[in-house]
Amino acid sequence: MARIHSRKGYKLKQIIDFKIAEINPDGRDVLLHQGIPKGVEVPERIRVLLAEGVDIFRRTAQPKGVIEEVSLNQFENTFVGEGKNIRDVILERIYPKSDHLALYVLTMGEDVSSRIEKMFNEGDYALGSMLDAVASLAADKASEVFEEFYRDYLDSEEKLNPGEFVLSYSPGYCGWHISGQKKLFDRLKPGLIGVTLNDSYLMTPLKSVSGVLVGGNKEIHIFDNNFEYCKECKHESCLDRMKRIQTI
Amino acid sequence: MELLDRISSTLQKGEDEQVAELTKQAIDENIPAQDILDNGLIAGMNVIGEQFRKHEIFLPEVLLAAKAMYAGMDLLKPLFIKEKVPTQGKVVIGTVHGDLHDLGKNLVGIMLKGAGFDVIDLGKDVPAEKFVEAAKTEDAGVIGMSALLTTTMPVMKKVVELLKENGLEDAVKTIIGGAPASEDFADEIGVNAYGFDAGKAVELVKELTGKK
Repeated sequence: MARIHSRKGYKLKQIIDFKIAEINPDGRDVLLHQGIPKGVEVPERIRVLLAEGVDIFRRTAQPKGVIEEVSLNQFENTFVGEGKNIRDVILERIYPKSDHLALYVLTMGEDVSSRIEKMFNEGDYALGSMLDAVASLAADKASEVFEEFYRDYLDSEEKLNPGEFVLSYSPGYCGWHISGQKKLFDRLKPGLIGVTLNDSYLMTPLKSVSGVLVGGNKEIHIFDNNFEYCKECKHESCLDRMKRIQTI
Repeated sequence: MELLDRISSTLQKGEDEQVAELTKQAIDENIPAQDILDNGLIAGMNVIGEQFRKHEIFLPEVLLAAKAMYAGMDLLKPLFIKEKVPTQGKVVIGTVHGDLHDLGKNLVGIMLKGAGFDVIDLGKDVPAEKFVEAAKTEDAGVIGMSALLTTTMPVMKKVVELLKENGLEDAVKTIIGGAPASEDFADEIGVNAYGFDAGKAVELVKELTGKK
């Protein structure tokens, strides 16, 4: 991760190159993503696939990100997007209570996404699927690195109060309509890092993540997951995140 | 037949090059292509599908077997030119409009092909109209839809509505899958089936098409 270059008193806006080592996912998590529970004996041929997938990721990924701090009013405009959000969005209850907001887009780069597609087209499904899992988890991990980066930035600017915490939220999840990406892209212009948006508000390269980093008292990030869309959700990653910040 | 059993068991181990060699040997020995397909390749994939359903093997092993299956199929295809490649039926699949996550959809497609279905893969970010249009033009019996993003799920409902508008709800069955989908959601929007995983999806498509 690059050092923070911002000047005191100015809002953060920066392009960042991630180091592969800081986003490389744990092999056991990759296998779990492939439906292999932790603790079971992994067949040799799957271990070989995992090693190959990780190796290709290391050689082809070009992880980059762009981040920009925004005001509450600026984010409100981004959040509303094209006016397609579900009526009761979790984030709508969180961000107004925040002290700091930053938009971000990150990508694992075009090469890794096109390698995955090529493997599937050529019938190399097992390796393609393994590489897909590695890249997806690496992209998730890069979001966490961004959370940490923004927290460090706020800390360095002496803007972070005790008990404050940064978490990321993304369009397409928890009721925030995917069309929210349009205004996010208009503001951030992530074409600079090679990420574009199509008419359906979907990003290219595929292994990219967009969202908002919300900094504030950790209590603002804690909610009951009993929203209408929570019933259908099988991710439940929000529970892990809430557990994580509650222990800090 | 011993050679066909060897094709089946080699396929189950995911040995694609060996499956291709054995398939070639079977062709050279004048074993009918239909027999090689049914009793070698599909027989092997059926075992894999069943083992996966019972959680005896893992996803990567299914995918290795699928690659081996296609290694054999590629050699058989030219032999089916006069008579078309035999099929269990046509299934149109895709990831719904607004969603680019296609890994689950790809897996279902691979396993459906392995079970002998003709799969029309529309790819990702597929509008509701395109699913229905493809089902009509391809004369498909099933539409399979996948989504990962909760916000894209309404497209699945739209496909069901369009099928009704076109009077196709009896001729074309629907099945959904993906992380945010569920049995309850399938019932709510009038979809015929919900496949929790790829193995289940294949089983349900067989039921929907009367092949089971």
